[in-house]
Amino acid sequence: MSTTSGAGSNATASAGTAPNAVEIAGLRKVFNANKANAVEALVDVDLTIAPGEFVSLIGPSGCGKSTLLRLIANLLDPTSGTVLVNGKPAAQARQDQDYGMAFQQSGLFEWRSVVRNIELPLELKGWGKAERRARAHEMLELVKLGDFAGHMPWQLSGGMQQRVAIARALAAHPPLLLMDEPFGALDEMTREHMQAELLQICARTSTTVVFVTHSIPEAVYLSNRVVVMSPRPGRITEIIDVDLGSDRDEDTREATEFYGRITAVREALRGIEMGAGPRGIEDR
Amino acid sequence: MIHRLRRAAMFVVAMLLVVALWEGYKAIGPAKGGDVLGFGILPRTNDQVMPHVWSMVTGLFDPAQRQGDQTVLSVVLGGAWYSFRIALVGFAGGVAGGMAIAVVLTRFRLAERAILPYLVISQTVPLIALAPLVAGWGGKLQIGDWVWPKWMSAAVLGAFLAFFPVAVGTLRGLKSPNAASLELMDSLAASWWRTLVKLRFPSAVPYIVPALKLGGAGAVVGVVVAEISTGLKGGIGRLIIEYSRQATSEPTKVFTSIFGAALLGLTMAAIVACIDLALMRNRPKESAS
Ligand SMILES: Nc1ncnc2c1ncn2[C@@H]1O[C@H](COP(=O)(O)OP(=O)(O)O)[C@@H](O)[C@H]1O
Ligand SMILES: [Mg+2]
Repeated sequence: MSTTSGAGSNATASAGTAPNAVEIAGLRKVFNANKANAVEALVDVDLTIAPGEFVSLIGPSGCGKSTLLRLIANLLDPTSGTVLVNGKPAAQARQDQDYGMAFQQSGLFEWRSVVRNIELPLELKGWGKAERRARAHEMLELVKLGDFAGHMPWQLSGGMQQRVAIARALAAHPPLLLMDEPFGALDEMTREHMQAELLQICARTSTTVVFVTHSIPEAVYLSNRVVVMSPRPGRITEIIDVDLGSDRDEDTREATEFYGRITAVREALRGIEMGAGPRGIEDR
Repeated sequence: MIHRLRRAAMFVVAMLLVVALWEGYKAIGPAKGGDVLGFGILPRTNDQVMPHVWSMVTGLFDPAQRQGDQTVLSVVLGGAWYSFRIALVGFAGGVAGGMAIAVVLTRFRLAERAILPYLVISQTVPLIALAPLVAGWGGKLQIGDWVWPKWMSAAVLGAFLAFFPVAVGTLRGLKSPNAASLELMDSLAASWWRTLVKLRFPSAVPYIVPALKLGGAGAVVGVVVAEISTGLKGGIGRLIIEYSRQATSEPTKVFTSIFGAALLGLTMAAIVACIDLALMRNRPKESAS
């Protein structure tokens, strides 16, 4: 496994090899800097994510997981430090649609049919209508919603809406997928089902994923590495490798190694919660 | 479908109720009018002031002039049609102007605080006072061969009343998208204009539709009032004035002209209802107004 953690000072990858999916060095983010209500959301964050890796961010509420994801997405500017996505500065990567994004709320446009929601990123890239349609249908097959192209979002269940959101995020075939608690609003059954599907989709499209979650089992089941964060100020306290192989299925959830990794993550979280008290982490 | 039938039935029932009230009061009310606590507020019920509903209806088919074969009905319909076209022009202008202002105010946060109060104040200017002013300015306007037509002043006043609700409704609607949707457009590197077209405007539709209803009514009122106060010939406003002057000899005529004005308003409402249906189809039911 490609666990190239630590500060990535070597920004430009050497010729021939693909650039790192994400390279974060010396990242710090202060909200409302120089004001009375300043919040130090992140300090000293260094993280390198190799292409094809699945990395989860876990930690108590308010530890800066969403902030870190938004910094990678260039929806926020860092106070200091650098973020490279796909070997480029984050701003450039955003312009090039080098990543797709999915949130807890599917954020589908209620006035667009399912297929037209998926076409949105392609429209913004200036694709022609026929190409867009073809790709959107391809994506619908990928998320197993082939029969729902003409439906309106509000006619779908929460799980189906989330699949459409994933299809939309991946429509332009970005190398990187950023997800902020995408399954947080789903029931447990749907959630486990979606996790398995997400792994299949990412394997088939060889997409790198940065995944924010509250759930320890979710993080362990999905990830190659689990990044454990602590609050006030938000920082990375531990990075836990999860060696469960690449073919994970329902049996994986019963395996002893699975429980072993869950325990490891839980202990890492306990460590940081000694002072703060446990909140916002799901043990299921 | 059932829902729509029920609404149509309610409309008929309401009409019948108005007729029944009218005729009921006419039957029992004092013929010479009456006082309540010393105020002369009870209207007289004689045929001069309150003609029977059926004589209003038959009055529609009386000749409009003493010698002539044009009926009152055709004159009223003609007047309503004339005013309707002006009101449509005013409505279109008001909607375009209102939306344009809303876009500008959304784009420039500062402009909102600078301009919005003036928009509110503008609506407090009495229309009756404004109408002759606009007609006066318009009359002096000439661009090349193009001369300001008289009806244009009425259209401008219709637009003046239509634009405000549209501007306010659109502004609210353009600001309605949640942070996540705006963030999504940002993550897709969409420009401000693309975000406006693909996110803000579609999100604004549920806010724009009720504003159009108000705007449509405003355009009709503006045009009719402008016709009355500038004396524009050919429209329903002028007919109301003319026919109320003839109230002593032909009391039903003024009511027929008021029917004409009501018909004008209803037609405008129907058009807006069609726009509503077209824009709101495929929307989730709960956000429909
Ligand atoms: N726009 C903002 N302005 C000010 N403070 C913010 C803003 N966004 C997040 N924060 C603060 O930064 C910290 C981290 O927030 P967030 O990244 O949302 O945490 P998480 O996603 O881990 O729950 C919190 O203390 C939060 O209050
Ligand atoms: Mg969060």
